[in-house]
Amino acid sequence: MSDTPNAPGESAPRPTPRGAGKAVPIFSFGRVTTIAASTVTQLVRMKTFYFLLAFALVVVAVGNFNIPATPAKELSMIKKVAFGTMDIFAWLFAIVATALLIPKDVEDRTLYTILSKPVRRIEYLLGKLGGVLSVIAISLVAMYAICALMIFSRESLYLSAEYDSMKASAQYTEGEIQEQLSLIRQQGLRAELGIAVLASFFKASVVAAVTIFLSTFASSSLFTIIVSILLFLIGHAHHMASSFWLDESGNSVFVQMLVKVIKILIPNYQLFSFSEGIVQGEAVVSALVWQMGGLTAGYLVVFLLLSLLVFVDKEF
Amino acid sequence: MSEPAVEVKNLTKVFSLGLKKEYVVAVDNLSFEVRAGEVYGLIGPNGSGKSTTMKVVLGLMAASKGSAKVFGLDSGDIRARNEIGFLPENPYFYKHLSGAETLRFYGKLCGMKGAALKDRIGELLKLVDLEGAANRRLSGYSKGMLQRIGLAQSLIQNPRLVILDEPTAGVDPVGSRQIRDLIMRLREEGYTVFLCSHLLEQVQEVCDRVGIIFKGRMRREGTLDELIEIENQTSMTIENATPELIAEIHELVRSKEGARIVEEGHSRTSLEHLFIQIAERSREEKS
Repeated sequence: MSDTPNAPGESAPRPTPRGAGKAVPIFSFGRVTTIAASTVTQLVRMKTFYFLLAFALVVVAVGNFNIPATPAKELSMIKKVAFGTMDIFAWLFAIVATALLIPKDVEDRTLYTILSKPVRRIEYLLGKLGGVLSVIAISLVAMYAICALMIFSRESLYLSAEYDSMKASAQYTEGEIQEQLSLIRQQGLRAELGIAVLASFFKASVVAAVTIFLSTFASSSLFTIIVSILLFLIGHAHHMASSFWLDESGNSVFVQMLVKVIKILIPNYQLFSFSEGIVQGEAVVSALVWQMGGLTAGYLVVFLLLSLLVFVDKEF
Repeated sequence: MSEPAVEVKNLTKVFSLGLKKEYVVAVDNLSFEVRAGEVYGLIGPNGSGKSTTMKVVLGLMAASKGSAKVFGLDSGDIRARNEIGFLPENPYFYKHLSGAETLRFYGKLCGMKGAALKDRIGELLKLVDLEGAANRRLSGYSKGMLQRIGLAQSLIQNPRLVILDEPTAGVDPVGSRQIRDLIMRLREEGYTVFLCSHLLEQVQEVCDRVGIIFKGRMRREGTLDELIEIENQTSMTIENATPELIAEIHELVRSKEGARIVEEGHSRTSLEHLFIQIAERSREEKS
């Protein structure tokens, strides 16, 4: 430090101000994937995958039930329960995980630091949704692997037991034995079951998109979860609502209009139930799968746009 | 003259209270500038409009009237945010991430990657003295450590402007001193720092210019020297002065060889004293 103070009016030497930073792209896929990857890490480190243990327990328990039925029926029953549970876990997880993300970021002020970086709000929403969908996809693959293992082991067991028993009785021809075994195989592990998993993913994706829309204006995670579940249940009643309120001539124009508006606003989750037929061994119509994929993409775009509409001018 | 880092012109921010037709004016026709390369402190009591002003500058809120610009760019423009590093009051980052992961996350959001990002993370961890805790999750960090990792994340993309909202709130004296030293270092390195604080002594230590805000309006603004001078008092700094010289100071200075006035100006009060005076005046106006 200098012994002599500065003369009046003389200021200390100033450093050179820093130069301008680099340009910011209009949209960055990198920023979306960064937020998505962070969301996956967040959900994984929140130990959300522990629910897979509960799922595995359900599948193992169902697989070991002693159901008094033919092997084919028994396999059908195992698949029905396992895939039904998988579906419930997927949409429930989609609601709970999504409902926690944005309100938590707002509450913890993490959102301030993210949005004060060169991040567009659509990138943030896409990243959050992408992260949740990735975790749902990973969970479904894991649950499908658990199911496949159980179905395959039961199918192998039934096939060898049936073959041995029919062969030992010496009453059946080789053709009859093969016919019986093919009936069991039809209810066993088939590649088409993957389409049923995809259907569950489609449904959970739409549920997540609806939940993310609700969380952009909801005051709490609890509110988002409750309303999302409510909308999910209403979304399963489209057909019933149509036949009860729209097809009945006695209802007022107001009620009919209200039902029509609700039908437009709330996704029809019944459409995604085509997976039940696949699980039961029905043939897969590829056009239907494409159609459902398109419908899912449509719902995602619509709900993301609605979310953005609320979120873009939201003040924090 | 270089472009101002922050230029707030006639900024007004009005909040409506729920569905009632009641309004609160949080910021009222506020204007000020933060010059490039300086440390500017905005001080005021709770609810004075400091945080609202910061949020408008950060693009987290829109102005009801007026404008806020960052290096000539509208604060709502995403390019402006590439120039800003922000440390909120009581920063809560993702607790599931470690210190290094936190910096990596924010660096990637700013478009950084590869070796450049890795080097920058190392550099910043060293700057904030958290190299030893780089791989520890933030859930295990103390308040001071969180504040320092927050400061590091605000600098990750090497912004021109750093906005700090109560940077030492809740931090112990040692941690507080470390943050103060970091702010001084940022100034030396050419960063522009815009900070809000209640700790007036610290503001006095680190800021080049200060604005005092009350009820959303700028009450006083200027350099510390300008703000803390007392007009009806005069002080002199005399070299080689004898007691006699002090008694007849002006005449003696003019007549005695070897004696000279090195500095002459107004005596200083403390920034804290000035702040309290303005607060009392404001209360009196209200009553």
